[in-house]
Amino acid sequence: MAGRKITVVISQAPGKNPVKRHLEEEIATRLMLSGTAEVSVVPHLYDLTADHTGMLWLKSLRGNLVVLGWLYPRAIRWVLDRNGVKGKEGESRLNRIEDADADDQEHPQEEVAASRGIGAIDVPNRLIYAIDLRNDGDPEVYIKEIERLADLVSVPLVQLGFGGGLQLPVLPGNGPATNGTATAHGANGNGTPDHSHNGDTGSVISGIFSNGNSNGTNGHAESPSLPMTSPAVIGGGDVRRRWYPVIDYSRCTNCMECIDFCLFGVYGVDHSDRILVEEQDNCKKGCPACSRVCPVNAIIFPEHKTPGIAGAEGGPVEDFKIDLSKLFGAPSALEMAVLERDQELVADGRDAVGAAVGLPKRQTCQNEKTRDDLDDLMDGLDSLDL
Amino acid sequence: MSEPLVFMMGKFEARIPVDRMYFESHFWAVPHGDALRVGFTAYAVRLLQDVYFLDWQIDPDTQVRKKQTIGEIESSKAVSTMYAPADGRVIQFNEALLNDPSLINADNYDKGWLYEFSTTQPLLSPDEYVKVLEAGWEQTQRLLKNQFNE
Ligand code: SF4
Ligand code: SF4
Repeated sequence: MAGRKITVVISQAPGKNPVKRHLEEEIATRLMLSGTAEVSVVPHLYDLTADHTGMLWLKSLRGNLVVLGWLYPRAIRWVLDRNGVKGKEGESRLNRIEDADADDQEHPQEEVAASRGIGAIDVPNRLIYAIDLRNDGDPEVYIKEIERLADLVSVPLVQLGFGGGLQLPVLPGNGPATNGTATAHGANGNGTPDHSHNGDTGSVISGIFSNGNSNGTNGHAESPSLPMTSPAVIGGGDVRRRWYPVIDYSRCTNCMECIDFCLFGVYGVDHSDRILVEEQDNCKKGCPACSRVCPVNAIIFPEHKTPGIAGAEGGPVEDFKIDLSKLFGAPSALEMAVLERDQELVADGRDAVGAAVGLPKRQTCQNEKTRDDLDDLMDGLDSLDL
Repeated sequence: MSEPLVFMMGKFEARIPVDRMYFESHFWAVPHGDALRVGFTAYAVRLLQDVYFLDWQIDPDTQVRKKQTIGEIESSKAVSTMYAPADGRVIQFNEALLNDPSLINADNYDKGWLYEFSTTQPLLSPDEYVKVLEAGWEQTQRLLKNQFNE
């Protein structure tokens, strides 16, 4: 079994939905019992602050990683990236939306967008698989996929055999592995928070942080409803809900339109002048305004009800139904953004600024999108009386 | 009553009654008491087809701005957000639709009205609305085709 072990972190659904909890626990328990994976459970990923024990735990993990959560894979991936949990994008079969017409091979737009972004930085040589738990209600689906991934990435492991020994395969022969060979060194002893192994299945890292809690929320782990087997929630179950933008750097071109648009000081730049969501908690709950301003749809609000804004791969069209919103008077993205921002400004006791401030200056129109989108963009600008 | 105007959507005849006014976002409006009753035009209904679901996201008697989101609609073929057709006040919704949105299909110009609205903004005459349809038909077809081809 040691030959095919992979690290799995389950990000809980916010709230207490019993169906979701059950799915999470089923997956965790079965994976642990079968010894396929090292499993741990953290509260809803998106709500974790950088210093939350659950996030620190994620940061401490090395090697290939599967993260399951109630978010679109893009959202999972870039929330992790923002918190320094970095890796190459692993492709899970579960994330391939069953293309009704499989012959529809090309998604030129997507590819163009993807290849033009500034990309993530400091990406280590490991894979991170992000999987949306809304894909399917059947735990078996996830178990199968994780077994497949475990096989895929498995390499002979060196058994380290004492506490803290997470056995993680490194990515087989793909780029510069940490120590040149495909052994599992480097997977451990990397400053992981001190923890003891729950010897039982040899794979349970449960309960480690059940009373260590760095952000002052209720520090008690939820008591597992499946005795012995279901891992405790790292850092405790109750986490304050948050709302903030997440940048997909595979798309972001660093054009700075978001930083110009946001009047709440959410955005900043890092030491190499890359755009950064700096003051996450300055963002206004429910407001997705800047995501509409971003010319390449790189800004994700993982909890927004519109799939396109929440990080779904394609556009906002649901269920292959036609979206008639444009016909029925939908504002352009920019008009919408301005309306939303004004609402938040007024709610804050400030004056609405309308279209007068921080609107994109898109004279260069770098956009290679379809002619239609361009038309809409122009219409939007015209009606804003710029 | 005079004959309605007709706009041809391919082979489909969209009737545009001349006893009322219109918004360019494909709603008709008829004075009713102090307010206007607003509903989908035949053009809109043809595109939607069978309406399954209608949900309003604002309370009755709410001041709205043009293009503000006020609800959602879903039909057999389409989904759409619903937007205020003009600056004004949404006074009340057609309760009958909440139980049975198919009235929109069965009787879009009368019992299938959506809400009562008051506005001081100018509306379109039937002729003007048909011109809007003529001008937009190409683009509508393109919109539909593009989405189908995705
Ligand atoms: S607007 Fe979009 S592309 Fe431009 S810097 Fe912001 S996130 Fe990146
Ligand atoms: S949603 Fe609004 S407040 Fe939040 S970052 Fe964007 S513009 Fe700023």
